Order: sequence, then structure tokens, then C-alpha cells
Amino acid sequence: MTLLIAALVTGIGLGSMYGLIALGFQITYSVSQTVNFAQGSVVMLGAVLGYVFIERLGLNWLIAYPLAILCCGGFGMIVEILLVRPFVERNSEAWLMATVAGGIFLDNAVLFTFGNEPRTLASSLTQSTWQFAGTGIYPQQILVPIAAVGVALALHFLFRKTLQGRALLAVVQNVQAARLMGINTTAMVSGSFALSAMLAGGAGLLIAPLLSVHSDMGTLFGLKAFAVAILGGMTSASGVMLAGFLFGLVEALVTSYLGSSSTYIVVFALVILALTWKPDGLFGRPAVKKV
Amino acid sequence: MQTSRFLSQVTRRALMSGVVGLAVATSLPAFAADTVKIGLVAALSGQSAKSGQAITRGLTIAIDEINAKGGVLGKPIELVSRDDESNPGKGLVAARELVQREGVAAMIGGLDTPVSFAIVPFANQAKVPFVGPWAAGTGITKNGAEENYIFRVSAVDEYVDEAITEYLVANHAVKKPGMILINNPWGESNEKGLTKALEKRGMETAGIEKFESNDVDVVPQLTRLKENGADSLFVVANVAPTAQVIKSLDRMGWDVPLASHWGPSGGRFTELAGKSGEKLHFIQTYLFVEGDAKGEAMFARLQEAFPEIKTMADVTPATGIANSYDAMILLAAAIEKAGSTDGPAIRQAMYEIENIEGLIKTYTDPFSPEDQDAIGPEDYLFAHFVEGQIIPVK
Amino acid sequence: MQYLISRTGLDLLILALTVGGLVLTFASGGYIQFVMGLVALTTVLCVGLNVLYGLTGLVSLGQVGFFAIGAYATGVLLLNDVSFWIALPAAAVAAGITGCLLAIPAVRMAGPFLAMVTIAFAFIVEHGAVEWRAVTGGQNGLTGFQMPMIGGYTLSETDLVLFSICLAGLSLYLYRRLSDSGWGMAMTGMRDAETAASSLGYRPFVVKSTAFAIAAAMAGVAGGLFTPLMMFIAPSNFPFSQSILFLFAVLIGGAGSVLGPLAGALVTVLLPEFLSGLAEYRLLFFGGLLVGVLLIAPRGLVGSIAAFLPRPSRAIKPSPATDIEALLAGYPKPDKLEIQGLGISFGGVRAVDGVSLSLPSGAVTSIIGPNGAGKTTILNMISGFYKPTDGDITLSGKSLAGLPAFEAARSGIARTYQTTKLFENMSVVANVISGLSRGRLGQPLGQIESPENLELAAGLLRYCGYLGDLDKRAGDLPHVDRRLVEIARALAMKPGILLLDEPAAGLMRADKDQLAVILRKIADLGLAVVLVEHDMELVMGISDRIQAVDAGKPIAFGTPSEIQENEIVIAAYLGDGSAPALPRKDLLETVETPVLSTLKLTAGYGAAPVLKDVTLKVRPGEMVALLGANGAGKSTFLSAVSGLHRPVDGSIILKDEPVHALAPHDLVARGLVLVPEGRQVFPELTVLENIELGAYKRQRDMSGDEVEALLERFPRLKDRLHSRAGLLSGGEQQMMAIARGLMARPSVLLLDEPSLGLAPAMINELYAILGELRDEGTTILLVDQMASLALSVADYGYVLEQGRIVMEGPANDLISDERLTAAYLGGGEDVSMQEAAR
Repeated sequence: MTLLIAALVTGIGLGSMYGLIALGFQITYSVSQTVNFAQGSVVMLGAVLGYVFIERLGLNWLIAYPLAILCCGGFGMIVEILLVRPFVERNSEAWLMATVAGGIFLDNAVLFTFGNEPRTLASSLTQSTWQFAGTGIYPQQILVPIAAVGVALALHFLFRKTLQGRALLAVVQNVQAARLMGINTTAMVSGSFALSAMLAGGAGLLIAPLLSVHSDMGTLFGLKAFAVAILGGMTSASGVMLAGFLFGLVEALVTSYLGSSSTYIVVFALVILALTWKPDGLFGRPAVKKV
Repeated sequence: MQTSRFLSQVTRRALMSGVVGLAVATSLPAFAADTVKIGLVAALSGQSAKSGQAITRGLTIAIDEINAKGGVLGKPIELVSRDDESNPGKGLVAARELVQREGVAAMIGGLDTPVSFAIVPFANQAKVPFVGPWAAGTGITKNGAEENYIFRVSAVDEYVDEAITEYLVANHAVKKPGMILINNPWGESNEKGLTKALEKRGMETAGIEKFESNDVDVVPQLTRLKENGADSLFVVANVAPTAQVIKSLDRMGWDVPLASHWGPSGGRFTELAGKSGEKLHFIQTYLFVEGDAKGEAMFARLQEAFPEIKTMADVTPATGIANSYDAMILLAAAIEKAGSTDGPAIRQAMYEIENIEGLIKTYTDPFSPEDQDAIGPEDYLFAHFVEGQIIPVK
Repeated sequence: MQYLISRTGLDLLILALTVGGLVLTFASGGYIQFVMGLVALTTVLCVGLNVLYGLTGLVSLGQVGFFAIGAYATGVLLLNDVSFWIALPAAAVAAGITGCLLAIPAVRMAGPFLAMVTIAFAFIVEHGAVEWRAVTGGQNGLTGFQMPMIGGYTLSETDLVLFSICLAGLSLYLYRRLSDSGWGMAMTGMRDAETAASSLGYRPFVVKSTAFAIAAAMAGVAGGLFTPLMMFIAPSNFPFSQSILFLFAVLIGGAGSVLGPLAGALVTVLLPEFLSGLAEYRLLFFGGLLVGVLLIAPRGLVGSIAAFLPRPSRAIKPSPATDIEALLAGYPKPDKLEIQGLGISFGGVRAVDGVSLSLPSGAVTSIIGPNGAGKTTILNMISGFYKPTDGDITLSGKSLAGLPAFEAARSGIARTYQTTKLFENMSVVANVISGLSRGRLGQPLGQIESPENLELAAGLLRYCGYLGDLDKRAGDLPHVDRRLVEIARALAMKPGILLLDEPAAGLMRADKDQLAVILRKIADLGLAVVLVEHDMELVMGISDRIQAVDAGKPIAFGTPSEIQENEIVIAAYLGDGSAPALPRKDLLETVETPVLSTLKLTAGYGAAPVLKDVTLKVRPGEMVALLGANGAGKSTFLSAVSGLHRPVDGSIILKDEPVHALAPHDLVARGLVLVPEGRQVFPELTVLENIELGAYKRQRDMSGDEVEALLERFPRLKDRLHSRAGLLSGGEQQMMAIARGLMARPSVLLLDEPSLGLAPAMINELYAILGELRDEGTTILLVDQMASLALSVADYGYVLEQGRIVMEGPANDLISDERLTAAYLGGGEDVSMQEAAR
């Protein structure tokens, strides 16, 4: 019982993280049919910048966190402009490799500037635990899913209720018509990459206090989040969040009951099975075949 | 300051790489005759980079000292470093390259046990001495080769496991310890060692649990150990994963005696694990202690060579620095004694070393064909973190 | 001949490179030789990946998984004293079978979904190797392999490297052969246009799975070589990142080029060696270099070099027309294709409902109807792309309904597409050859471009009227030629039934006339020709019978003359024939300075310009109609003016400023707003949200009751404000699109085909609104195919023919001008009839 509760708590926390990062994939894919494969590195960048701003520059977290997230957004834009746009303009799929290479570059650049030691991003929410049902929970672990769902809802609200949000939805639904409305679609694509990177950076800041901060902390998060985005169907935000929770729970349950050595094998085998069953993702809409 | 240093290093290396590249292109092995080349294969990037840096520092200090005194065989020693990224395959390829292209006289390295395991057969076959300053896997030196070219100036899992078992039994009178081990060959090696140590005492274990280095928490594994009635825990993992174990124990509110391999010493452990990290006692081969003249002199030299070092906390892991420093001193002595850079001659000379003053201790007959490990259980000491510094346990 | 020489040249080059590699191995030793071994086995793996990605266009990020399976299979067998010469093929087979299994889910996916499945596979293999300790040795890996033996001789490392280099050379050669075979052609077809490939009879699952299996097996071979070369294998040799490196090697070498994998292997294996001196900074540089090379050489190293080499061209003697006719006539034909009660629904909408039709051999049967009537959907059901919800399609008594496209093709049904689907990266003649075998793949290493096939294909092309370069890349063809090549490709299948979807769209009158002759000849050879076409002159000229459909339902069937006189048909096209004239209430008061003008505007796609020297003026408050037949260049003109089509020659002047370089969003800000053809609504947004987006550029000064005021003009939208725009009817969507355009307070509003696909009553309502807008002083440039309708509201008109303005004048003068009939409708037939049929 204790084991189950512990697994559920971990799973929900992880799942919401994956969901948040995966939303970033979903947004850029919806707008431009491209994704930033350096997304995992951006998770790391968020955490590292948060650490640097707070611990090294002594900024208040109220300033440091938004600043870190903004910097991540800037990085996302740079990725789009340097690593995605030139290839999309040539109708090449090499953006995939280019963003992967961008991630390798960022990881190593951080290694040399930030240092090679894991560090801790302190949070007052991991200083004490709440005990119940024989296990303990850091308040941060509660904050993570709440914040993730909150951000997802806020995004939904933003998209529906603000002009720029609706403009983004318009680009998703019909690029040409969006251009005719006067929407600068190029800027929107850049913006979507920025937003996507900000989500990843924010996720990094949220998860960092539970882990340690180092230059390769993001790689696996990025990869699992990509799996989540795919399972969610790539185009539906709610589907992606749902897939995130599902993925996190399955991962935590497998780890608890079968041991973490089999986690990858089981989880990724399930991903393949799920996609065999539903090639457009669990919550994706099958595309109408145009002839 | 640091940036310019970084840049100059980078440009120098870029230039070097160009030269090396040319050597490949012309397919001419670059044998330079005016230096004695020593190869280093270690993880210089990734999670273990901090430890790799410590090894590089120890070697640099030792080589600077040796070269200041005229080098070996009348030639200066040159260190050729290769990054293995903690990947055995890369480590093996790097070792081949060092031997076959760079023509190194001997190699130092193997930070991760799997990397060392991968290099061992090659080093024996190529007859090039390979001195380990870190990886503790028992089978590295005890590899069963007839002509064994593998030496080690570091801890050995089997001895460590015996020591930490004894420590728990003697200090906490434990009856049923549990194991929480990292899921890699290092963990496997210690699983064997600990099981052996427990069997020797007729004790049973509360369970053997594995975890991955990027697991977010270890609560499930620990919960199982607790439910099986563990009264103490053995921990074997690197800094960050060990910190995850401590944090998970904290969350569970489980206060239990802990003994660990030397993993936590690889970084800022208490920063990662929090105050509870101080409760973890672990093994060390060397510590910088205030008041120790030899240690303070070494610290001063380190500060001089690496201006980024400010406090004692910046020279972790001290073990890495001390082991590699001593390994280099011993290796240089053997080369000098052998009178050549020929592998078999150096190996023979290793057995003939008599009295060498190292940082950890004075080595008297450190190696013999039966025991190629220079450091034994008698050299281990127990330590823990206090206020971010590693302090011997009283 | 030259082409053959270039092929032999390539083979010789492969041979020379292999020999060079062998010599270098002898000359060097130790480490360099080891690195050469790595290059060789990476080449083998990348050749396999090149079959998958370069030829077939499928991305795999899981190749390292197959590589690992090959390595472990060999390793385990070697440790169990199995000979290397058995272990290596076994490794290939093990990897190949795994590849086939993975292909089952993988080939149904594309893009990121496929990437994910292969990534997941790579992870499973890597972690499986860690956990399956009994077999794989866990993290510690396997070591202590016997070197391969031949007879009593044990191979040295040098021998092994020599063997690997030979295998690499062989794999490059086999790739060359494969890419020139029918299999290679089918794979390229899948990559360039899967739809077209399956309607030529190629079975996507088989072709793609084969590519997967080849790639997997070759990765297995590479793994089998890796084991004895490395003498040590562990899971960490096979990290996921290695997969990325392999794909990178193919990209950087040049995907789809024969020597690309070799170049890529050289770069990815040697570059880290060059950088090894950088130790810990290596990955930083590697990341940067990857990006740099991708940016500088987008086509890969070999691709970039090949671009500078002259394209070979061959002297092919086309088979004479008589042979072609004999071939097409001589092939056995099915008696007749019967369609009974055919229907299909998409999400509740009946796109086709109760169509029954008999398509006899030797006759041209046309299907006509307004846009959106379901004509193309009928063709899609016959050719196997859609599964009908009701009814049946039978061919010589055999039911075809619901069978996949390749089955339909193999039964003798060939087709063309509304937007041509050629294999862009194949030559023109190869495109036609791809149709010859009706999906039979032939010898895997046989030369598909045999002299007979070349002559036949060339003959078909000439027969269809294509007179251009046979070796030209199909993607570079002008529009007209694309249509002809596509028809030739369809005929290459020697079909019994030929389905043509708007073959005349975008063709000039002379070309259309020529096409008419060809189509009639084809039918006379005994084929059943089915024609979906808007050009009534063509339809009426060559059809034996015509089926008219509207809104998915059959409305009339008969001979051309019967259809021309059918009241229902006329009503479907033109409303009840009483489109009200909408003269201005007050005289137009305007100034000579135009709000929008173009001067010698020229624009086009690729080679041939679609617009030539168009000069046009729209004055303030004026309503100008731009008229012309389908494909005359009207839509291109609007795209050019609104900024969607760039670059253009000549100038566009909006309110005295040149704007021909500006993007659409800048033009909207300056008051030029286009309401595009086909409404282009945002289907998931509500009507209100759609309309508000129209004011995107001036959101800040938008007042609350503005929408309210606008809705007074579009009462139909009032009660639909909060429903999703995608749920509106076509007419409502058009109203909404215009309202959305008006929200921008345009200085000039461009309307592209507002009446397209609308019911007659709706068209009248819409035009009444346009008249009101005009009377209130909105400046409008109107494009509509229905000339009389457009001229009924316009002040002034221009007539566009083949991209040029052929006449202009006040609307009242134009409407009665005989020359308009000639220019607009082609020929001097009865205007009302032509208008009706349109």
C-alpha cells in the first residue's frame, strides 16, 4: 500500500513534468510541423540558469525564475532561427539532426561554463516533508503537478482569450489564411519555439529541487517527453497532458513493482505497442488522407 | 580570467587536433622521441567529469614535479589525455589509439569499472602497463592473465566491502543490513563483495535493491528494504545518486545506520543531499586534513597550478588527486628503474620498487605478481561530510 | 550511351576506392588500420540506412539497435565456438527478421511517429543488453572472441579489415544495382509520392518493409564485423546517440547518392579522431561542426559535388506510335466497370450519395459538376483510396470496393491527379517506366531502365505529346508537361480503365485541343476513359456520355447534347438563370489616382511565368472584375498582389507606394486584404473569433459594437456567432470570410471566387451583399469565373487569358462584347450555353 502510494505520487509528479515538456513539442509541431530536439537540454538550461541566478548572482527567486524562463525562451528562438528555419526553407528534414546537434552543443557549453559538478537548486519546499500513509512527500512534489496543470490551463486560456493566442491557433489551423489576416507567421513560428522552450525551462526549474542540477540532467526528460508528445498525438494539448500522466504513472509503477532496471524496456515496449494499436497516438486524430 | 584560459586551452587543442588529424591523413604514427608519453584514459565529460578532473590535477602536479627534477630517462614526461565519456567502447578505442598511434609508454586511467574491464585484455595483449587510480572493481587487477600488466593505486571493492561491513557491525551491532546499489558493474562488483563479507559473518541481508543514476526517487526500493526489516544500509553509488538515496530516506523519515563506498566524496555531497548527508559514513584512501604538513604542501601546489581552487572544498575528490599523484610517482620510478619505455621492462620494474614517498603513504614494495594493488584495507579511513568538508570519522 | 558509361564509371570508381582502401590497409597498420575497419563497417551500415532513408524516405533512429543485435548475435555464437562464417550471416538474418517485425508498426507511420518507434526500439535493445546478463554479460559486456578462421588459417586484424573493406565496396555496388532496379524505383516512388506509387500497383507495405529489412540486415552485418574487430562488446557501445550519428552520416554524405554513405562514414568516424586531441572539448566542437556542415552542404558532400557534374543524357529511339497503339489495344481489357449505388460519408457529411454508373470500354465517360460535387471522391473510390460506405464497384464481375489502391491498379485501373503527382526526383522517362510493370518489382538487381523499357516509355511520352528532354528531372517540368507525363505514366500500365482528374486544368487552348485528340484516340483503342473536367468544350467535344453530379448526388446522365439542354444541370451551375443585375444606385464618383495598381506584373512557378506583364488599376470606391477561364492566372494574380506569392517582377503600387516586396502581414497593415478562394476559415475557432481575427492588425482601436454593426449586413451569421466555423455551410463560411476581411477596414478588398461551390440561392444573396458594399464605397477587386455575374455588379472589367490582359473596359460594354465570349469561353459558340455548362 505504501509502495503504491509512493509510486502514485512519483508518477503524477513525473507525468505532469513530461506533459509540460511535451506541450512544448506539441506547440511547435502544430504550428510548423517541426520540433526542437534540444528540448531536453532546455530543461537543463532552465535549471542551470535558475541556479546561477540565485546561488551565484544572489538574485531573489521572484526575479531569477522568470529571468531564467525568459532566457530559455530566447534560446528557443535562436534554435528556430539558426537550426530549424534554414532547413525548412530548403524543404529539408535536416532540422532534426541540427537541433540534436544544438542540444549536444548546449550540454557541453554548459559543462564548461557551469562546471562538471552536480549542484542543488535549493527550494524551501524540499526542506521538510509531509508524512502520510507511511511515506513522505516534499511540498515541491505537490507543487509540480499543480503548477504543470495550472500552466497547461493558463496556456489554454491564453490561446482562446488573447489575440496573440488566437493568432497562434489561427496559424495552426490555416497558415495561409492566417497570413492574410495580417499575422506574421514567421514570427509566430519563432514565438512558438520560444514558448516551447519556456515550458521546458519552467519544467526544469520545477523539477530541479527534487534532483540535482548538472549539464546532462535533461537528455532523458527530453526523450521521454517526446514519447509522451507522440503518444498524445502531437496535435492535441489535452491529449499530450493526459499521455504525460499516463506515461509517468506507468513508469513509476513499473519501477516500483518490477525494479528500475526494467523500466525502459517495459515503458518503451508499451510505447511501440500503443503506436502499433493507434498509429496516430492514443489521443491523436487520424489525419484524413488527401489524394 | 577563466574564460581566456579556457579559450587559450581550446585554441591550443584545436591546433593540436589539426596536427593529429594530419598524422592520420598521412598515416604516419607520430612517435616523438624527445618525451616519454603517458596516456590518460578517463571520463573528462559527463557525470564523472569532476572525478576525471581530479585525476588530471593529481597527474599534472606529479608530472610537473618529475619534469622539474629532470623527468625520467632524461626526458620530460608528456601526458596525452583521452576522454572515454564513461563508455567502455570509447575507452578501449582511446587506449588503442594511445598505444598504437601515440606510442605511450604506459597508461593511467579507468575511472569507471566497466571502462577498465574493457581496456584490461587489450593492455595485457599489447604489453603496456595500465595503472588504475580510481576504478575499484576487484577483477580489474585480479584478471587472471598470466602476464598481468594491470596495477592499481586505489581502493578495491572486495576490501572496501569487508571494511564497511566490519564498520557497521563494530559500531552499530547490526544484524540484517540491506543493500542499495547503483545498477551498473560497480554495483554488481560490490554486490559480490558485500555478499561475501556477510557470508563470512554468517549474517543475512534484508535485500539487494538496484537503482538507476537518473531515478527521481528511490523510495520504492527503500520501502521494500524497510519492510524486509533492514536495520542498516550499504550504499554504493556516485555522488548524485547517493544524494537521491539520502533524500528518499529523509522523505520516508527512516533514520538508519548507513555505510557507503567512496561515491559521496566525488562532489558537493551535502549540498545535494542536505544536512542528512552528514549521517552517511564512507570510505576514503586520502583526505586533506588541516595540520597535515604533506597535505597542506600539496594543497598549496594545487592552488598554484589551478588558480580556480580556493578552499579545501574545491579539491574534492581528494582521493582522485592523491591516487593519481601516487600512481604517477610510482610509474615514473618504475620507468626510471627499467631504464627504458619497453612495457615488459616497466612491468618488471614495478615489482622492484622498494621505497617511494607518496601522498597517501610511503610505499614499500607496493606491487608483487600476487598483489598488484598498492593500497590495502589498512590504508582506508572512514569519513563523513561536515559543513561541506570531508572530515575523518572520530 | 553516355548514361551507361557513367554507370560503369561509378562501378569502376567503387572498385578503385575499394582497392585503394585495401592498399592503404596494407601500407598502414595498427591503429589506422583499425580506424579503416570502423569506416568500412560504418559504410556497410550506412548503405543499408541509405536504402531506408535515401531511397525510401523513411527515417530510422533505431539503426544502432540492429547493429547491436548483429554484434551480440555474432559475439554469442563465436563464444559458443560457432564459425564466424556462419555467425556473420546469422547476425544479418537475426537483425533482418527483427527489422521485418519492427516494420509492421513502423511502415504505417511517418515523420515523428516513425522516429519515436525506432527510438523506442533502440532503447529496448540497449537496455535489454544490459539486463539479459546470462547471454549478453550485462554491463561488463562480452570479450575473448576467436578471430575468424579459413581452413586452418586464423585471420589477423589486418585480414579482418581487408574483408570489411571488400564488404563495404560490395555493399556500395549492390546499392547501385538496387537503386537502378525495379525495387529501387518502387522505393523512390514511395519516397516521392506514395499515393501515385500505390496507384501504379506498388504495394507500400511490401516495398517499405523490404527497405526496413535491408537496412536492418546490413546493420546486422556491420555489427557482426564490429565484434571481432573491437574484441569487446558492451551495451555502452550501442547508445542511442550512435543512431543519430549514423543518420547524420547518411545526411552528410548525401542521402540517396551511391557514394554518400562512404563519405558520411569517413566524416563521422574520422572527425572524432581528428578531434581526439581536444579531449573534453571534443563534443562541444562536434556539435558545432554538425550544424555547420548541415548548413553549408544541405545535399550532403556527394550530392553537392554531383550537382556540378553534367547530367547524362541519352539518345533513346522512341517506339513508333503504331507500336504503342498496338500495345495498348492488344492488352486484354475487362468488359466493363460497374458502379452501383456508390456512397461515402466523411464525419457525417455525405460526399457521394447513390451514384450508379457503367463505364464501358472504348468510350469516354465524363463526370461533371460544380466544385465540391464529389467528382474526385468518386475517382478515389474507384482507384481504391477511399473505402465506400455503401454500394459496390465491380470489374468483370469482381468486386473492387474497399480493396487497396495497389489492387485496383493491378486490376487495370490507372489514374492521374488533379494536382499532378509525379516522382519529382526521377527523370521523365523513369517516371513512365515505373508504370510499365504494374507493380511487379522484378529482379532486385536487374536494370529496370533496359533499352526496351526506355524505348517503350519514350514512345508513350511522344504518343501523349511530350516533346521535351526525356532525362529531365520530373520536378523541374513546366505544368503542361507534368500533365502529359502523368498520362503517359498511367498508360504505361497498359490499363483497361483510365481515370483522368482535370487533365486540362491550367492548359492552354491549343494544348487542350491536342489533349482532346489524344484522349479520344486512347478510348478508340478500347480503353474505358473516365474524365473529370471543368473545361466544357473538351468534355462536350470528346465524351460519349456524361454523368452530372451535384452535392454528391447524380442529377443527370446522357449524351453531351442531352446534358447541355438539361434544366437541372443548368440550374446547378447557374442558379435559376435569373441572376439579378445590380446596377449602382448612384453614379460612381472617383478620382483617377488608383488606390491599387500593377505595372507589368510578371510571376510564375519555376520555369514558365503564369502572369505576363499585367497592368491593372483599381480606383477608390470602384469595383473591378478580373475575368478569365480556369488557369488563366487569376488566382496567381491575387496571390502576387496580396504578397502570398513572392518574388514577382514588375511593380505593385498601393496608395502610391511600391509594395511588391512586402509580405502579406505588411500588406494587411497597409489596407490590402484578400478573401481567399475556398473561404479558408479557421475551423476550430468560433465565428466571432474568426471575425475578430480579421482586425488582428488594428485590434487596439477596435470598438466593441463594430462586430455588431458588421453583422447587420450578414444576418445569417448572427445566430451562429458562437458555433465553430468548421460547422457552417459553404455559403455561411463565405459570408464569414468576407465579414472577416471587412474587419480589417481595407482600402481595397480582393475577393477570390466568392461564388465557388455555393448553391444558386446563396450566390444571389452573396452578390446582393457585394452590391451593397459597393454602393457604400468599399473598393473591391473581384475575381469570379461566372463572368456575367461578376460583371453584373462591377464598374469596370479586365479579361485575363493565358496570363495576359487581353481586353478591358467598363462592365456594361464588356458584358455585351462579342470578343469577351471568344476570349473567355474559347471559340465563338453560343454564349448562354457555354455559360450554363460552366
